[in-house]
Amino acid sequence: MSYSNTRLVPPFNRSPSAVAIRSVSNYAADVEGILWEMLQELRPPVRDKSVLLKPNFVEPDTEGMINTHPVVIRAAREAFLRLGAKSVVVAEGPGHERDTEGILEELRLRDYLGPLEQSFIDLNTDEVAQVGTRTRASRLKSLFLPKAVLAADFVVSMPKMKTHHWVGVTLALKNMFGIVPGSCYGWPKNVLHWAGISKSILDINSTVRPDFAIVDGIVGMEGNGPIQGTPKASGVLVAGDDPVSVDATCARLMGLVPERIDYLQRAALLLGNMPEEKIEQLGESIASTRKPFEMLPAFQQIRA
Amino acid sequence: MSAGIGLYAFSTEERDIHTPAHDFFPDLLRAAQNTDGGWGYRPGLPSTTEPTAWSLLALQALEASPGKILDSAADWLRQAQMTGGAWPNASGKEPGCWVSALACLALLSLKGPSQDAIVRGTNWLNETWPAEGNFLWRLRQQQQAHTVVHQDHGLRGWGWTPNTASWVEPTAYALILLQNIPTRHRPSHAVKRIQMAEKMLYDRACPGGGWNAGNPLVYGVPGVPRISPTVWALLALRHHQDHAVNVEGVEWLRQRYQSLRSPASLALAHLCLKVYGRAENLLETRLGDFYGNNQFLQSIPAMAWASMALGGVPCWIESSSQSIEAI
Repeated sequence: MSYSNTRLVPPFNRSPSAVAIRSVSNYAADVEGILWEMLQELRPPVRDKSVLLKPNFVEPDTEGMINTHPVVIRAAREAFLRLGAKSVVVAEGPGHERDTEGILEELRLRDYLGPLEQSFIDLNTDEVAQVGTRTRASRLKSLFLPKAVLAADFVVSMPKMKTHHWVGVTLALKNMFGIVPGSCYGWPKNVLHWAGISKSILDINSTVRPDFAIVDGIVGMEGNGPIQGTPKASGVLVAGDDPVSVDATCARLMGLVPERIDYLQRAALLLGNMPEEKIEQLGESIASTRKPFEMLPAFQQIRA
Repeated sequence: MSAGIGLYAFSTEERDIHTPAHDFFPDLLRAAQNTDGGWGYRPGLPSTTEPTAWSLLALQALEASPGKILDSAADWLRQAQMTGGAWPNASGKEPGCWVSALACLALLSLKGPSQDAIVRGTNWLNETWPAEGNFLWRLRQQQQAHTVVHQDHGLRGWGWTPNTASWVEPTAYALILLQNIPTRHRPSHAVKRIQMAEKMLYDRACPGGGWNAGNPLVYGVPGVPRISPTVWALLALRHHQDHAVNVEGVEWLRQRYQSLRSPASLALAHLCLKVYGRAENLLETRLGDFYGNNQFLQSIPAMAWASMALGGVPCWIESSSQSIEAI
């Protein structure tokens, strides 16, 4: 179970994390085969577990640069089932758009997953339970969270690789904003903004720590992200069981210095590994797959 | 105290042609009512304010709705009201501005002993200001090196929740409520808040027409309008149909209508275009197709909006409605 089941370990007492990078030229490539190979290397412990895939769905998007691509989601579902997962559901609570089904239909998710009333949970309107936050970085002392997330055995954060106009980048950790339900916090979930985005990211991820992360960087977004930027064909999938390591690796692939990203710095204290020497790189190297992202002027200082 | 403020006269003009779709979605709603009188966001989930308010608003307009369904729903809403007058969001514990406006509106639509609840709810909304725009907030903004969003923060409406910023949809819901409250029951300063909220909505319109959640320009880039905020802003501003921003918004909505792929957006867009005299056809067929796709993801609000769109224009958003006295 993801909620409150993972120890918060200080950096000096942590074993290294493994992160896999694989080049994927486009969504017509063999995404399913490539992701299966990545997961075989990483061996996430999902046998007989209920797996919840948390993609990043924000708004309808004709250019395919805002939302996690359905090809990647289907590939993850199939791979986790092959690894012995008891069940796999897709769940998301979009932050800007109340019409979740509208986003799913624009994405044509049904074409990839089948009827959505059986395979998808709208986290914005799921039943909620109040849980205390495990860290108190923000003024939020507790959160109302969907029971579907709290009950899942294994939570997988599946973000898009994007820039973000408030915090620099949005990856596996920031993606967890989507588990916070609109039915309690609104559209957008403005309470989190007022509590401090970076601090809220830490509190959410310490409370429901993603067990695994798969980043869709096949086409990401640069510039004025997370919704008004421009497409960036990074051509990578990145995966690992430590969301901090995955995010730090993605930041390096984006030509950024993760240590200069506020929320990653905070998360590295308690939630995972950020230094390169603490990350075992599988698959391809950062150097061979790095494609620097254009950044807004406000975030030039986080570039390498 | 009277038996209720009495907003009874929902329009029935367009309900003379009954088709299965007209009955189907209300039947689903009725079947999904919990034994405590309320509705959850999906059938079987615990009752919460928003789906209960939408269901009540949808079913109230139908003659076929048994009184006990409506009465038990109103009872649930009255019992759910918090001490200070607000209604809780889905947490059951924390107040929500948007759900408070919707609960008041739903109770206002019924005969019954709800006047006290409505007045307390409306007073709470009227006294609840968003967090942005005060002196300290403006000072902090001035000290920031860069401005991400460009809008007039002095124009304040309502946030989704207390102590957060103004956004389009909760402002529109509150505005529609205040417009419908009889003058004699309007809280002090309500007129001022109505005027400011209308200005705020116009300030937040996206360049080129329509509204998004509430940031029309981010780093100078025009925001992309979305259906739901556009619908509710247009309905809240329905008394200004000739205003250029309204005209642009309606045109944007009309152009998007045929390409909509989901029942919630389709139903809301249809309802709005009907209020503006621009209703499109094929609603029933398309809603039926959409139901076949994903069963609306079992969304109770979507079923309620579909029911409303297939019926007549509710009087609380009729273009001529000002307040109960004018009906």
